[in-house]
Amino acid sequence: MAAAATCSTGTRSTGSMVVAASRNNVTSFQRRGPRTSGTDSGCSRLVSISGTRPSVRNGQLLVSTGLPALDQLLGGGLAVGTVLLIEEDKYNIYSPLLFKYFLAEGIVTGHTLLVASAKEDPADILQELPAPLLDDNCKKECDEDICNHKTESNVKMKIAWRYQLLPKIEARPVSSSRFGHYYDVSKRIPQELIEASKWHGFFLPEKISSTLNEDPCSLNHGYIKLLQFIQNIIYKEGFDGSNPQKKQKNILRIGIQNLGSPLWGDDICWTENCDSNCSLTKFLYMLRGLLRTSLSACIITVPTHLIQNKAIIARVTNLSDTVVGLESFIGSEKETNPLYKDYHGLIHIRQIPQLNNLICDVSDVKDLAFKLKRKLFTIEGTWVQALVRNY
Amino acid sequence: MPSDGCSNSLAVKAAAGAQFLGPNRGPRLSKNPRAPLTEVPTTTSAHPGSPCGSASAKDSVEWEGRSLLKALIKKSALCGEQVHILGCEVSEEEFREGFDSNINSRLVYHDLFRDPLNWSKTGEALPGGPLEALRALCRRTDPGPVTIALDSLSWLLLHLPCTTLCQTLHTLSRQDSCHGDSSPGEQVHVLGLLHEELHGPGPLGALSSLAQTEVTLSGALGQASAHILYRRPQQRPSHQMDPTTHLTFNLRLSKKEREAKDSLTLPFQFSSEKQQALLCPGLGQPTSHIFYEPDAYDDLDQEDPDDDLDV
Repeated sequence: MAAAATCSTGTRSTGSMVVAASRNNVTSFQRRGPRTSGTDSGCSRLVSISGTRPSVRNGQLLVSTGLPALDQLLGGGLAVGTVLLIEEDKYNIYSPLLFKYFLAEGIVTGHTLLVASAKEDPADILQELPAPLLDDNCKKECDEDICNHKTESNVKMKIAWRYQLLPKIEARPVSSSRFGHYYDVSKRIPQELIEASKWHGFFLPEKISSTLNEDPCSLNHGYIKLLQFIQNIIYKEGFDGSNPQKKQKNILRIGIQNLGSPLWGDDICWTENCDSNCSLTKFLYMLRGLLRTSLSACIITVPTHLIQNKAIIARVTNLSDTVVGLESFIGSEKETNPLYKDYHGLIHIRQIPQLNNLICDVSDVKDLAFKLKRKLFTIEGTWVQALVRNY
Repeated sequence: MPSDGCSNSLAVKAAAGAQFLGPNRGPRLSKNPRAPLTEVPTTTSAHPGSPCGSASAKDSVEWEGRSLLKALIKKSALCGEQVHILGCEVSEEEFREGFDSNINSRLVYHDLFRDPLNWSKTGEALPGGPLEALRALCRRTDPGPVTIALDSLSWLLLHLPCTTLCQTLHTLSRQDSCHGDSSPGEQVHVLGLLHEELHGPGPLGALSSLAQTEVTLSGALGQASAHILYRRPQQRPSHQMDPTTHLTFNLRLSKKEREAKDSLTLPFQFSSEKQQALLCPGLGQPTSHIFYEPDAYDDLDQEDPDDDLDV
């Protein structure tokens, strides 16, 4: 990743800058242009990419995860070129939701998507994305657009005749350059948005034939195919800067679902006996290498509750950048705990990367719980654990 | 091997009830798995909303699950579905015992018990062993809803690597979407019997993550009970019902009603010149214009102007 100017954090450094300014009578604090890091294409001023913003801590280019609450907990968003690992909850109910939020955010901001799954067809996953809650300007244009399409141009309106001469607005995909949107989980994303977006799908049963014999020493066959697919897309579409004539830069959002489950051909979920030939760790290492050299961000969900070998879980966590764990209350004794009755589970921010920094931006609130309301997925801090301990 | 001779109350109740819960209920756990089973939720497997997926029944030595499997098979057969059985642990005669003849005629039995490795070479056994048998089931192209029962998953786990088994089961239960158009009747239900004590937590967890419904048999004091875990499938609105059908009020206009509606005078209906003036405001209009249009209630009397009022 390109090194960025370190924007100082904390009050101590701001104070020292003020002191320096007053001493010299000329400010040494020079205003820089809107410098965003993440690529080094050689141009002095980088055109800002929609849906991204530079981090206020370390200048990294951030993308939103689709949940503004989660963005805040991760220090502003997910850094471009990093991996967000979601540790699935036990019955895999809430982790697909975070996965879909990430992809929906990509569609709304116009990023390119790459969806990989061994369980569901990526086209089906895209159909189930939540609908974005647009603000009033975008919504009015959408409604007028629909109404203009329905009425013919020559029909005189009897009641709403004042609207007759309004200009027709062409149907165009709603794209927004804001950072972080809200979604309505109870509705599906409109079909036009999906069709207007660019996405690539990788569905494992279609890509490999099951009769192939795997070489046990090398990487899992499914993982090899996936890595080749991702590398191909990054190279062909120029996310790694290999097409300098391409003016418009965009972010590639990669989503990989249920990595490490037996459906990917991996055996870490049912045997403890994984020596150094663990395919998943090699895959993550290579994936991170691909991501670091391109303008992409990746979300992976892993069923860590099924992984038998604890050492593998630790290795997988270390090889990812940001790790978020979900623990749902279903079936556990916490379900009947009256202090947790408002929530559906706990969310643990297990790791936040230190990118060009010595410290990482860990949120102050340690006990976080989530709740899936009918339309929204909310994350709140809860201090109940402290209370419980006191009793 | 599971032993017979436990109480059959569960089998009876399961035969009366049904196996798949309604699609709108979330993951539901029975409150007390040790309590005797009082009721089994009753929706039929041919319900159009029922999930297409796999269900596994976990049993143990004390509480055997084959009778539950047979009860579910009987229910499917009575609903008119075709049932394929991959039998590995008991012989075909023993499995078919207890079914009457019309159900037996609907069962297609694939026998892996008698000669799984095809040693006798008589040509009766399924070629290729268990994996090929499963793959042949995947490639089957009969139309209509079908139930595939695997007796048992434990036997298959001992003979196949877990990864291969999981992938093949996934392909089995995804069959309906491979066949192009989506019609709700073309659903594949996969039932599997798993003996809990034979496997470690790894394979059990892996298979559980695949199954949509899981029934764990246990019991206390001679009473069997079932602990049902159901994962709600993704809501997939594939058939949008037309909301204007089946209404208690009328949304359609007859011709006379339409004419009456068109000829109605609206209270704020302006003459066309006023409309045009309002729609296209001219640029060179220094003064504003007043357009007066009397409606039905205005009383214009030319002989009584207001000019003579002293107000």
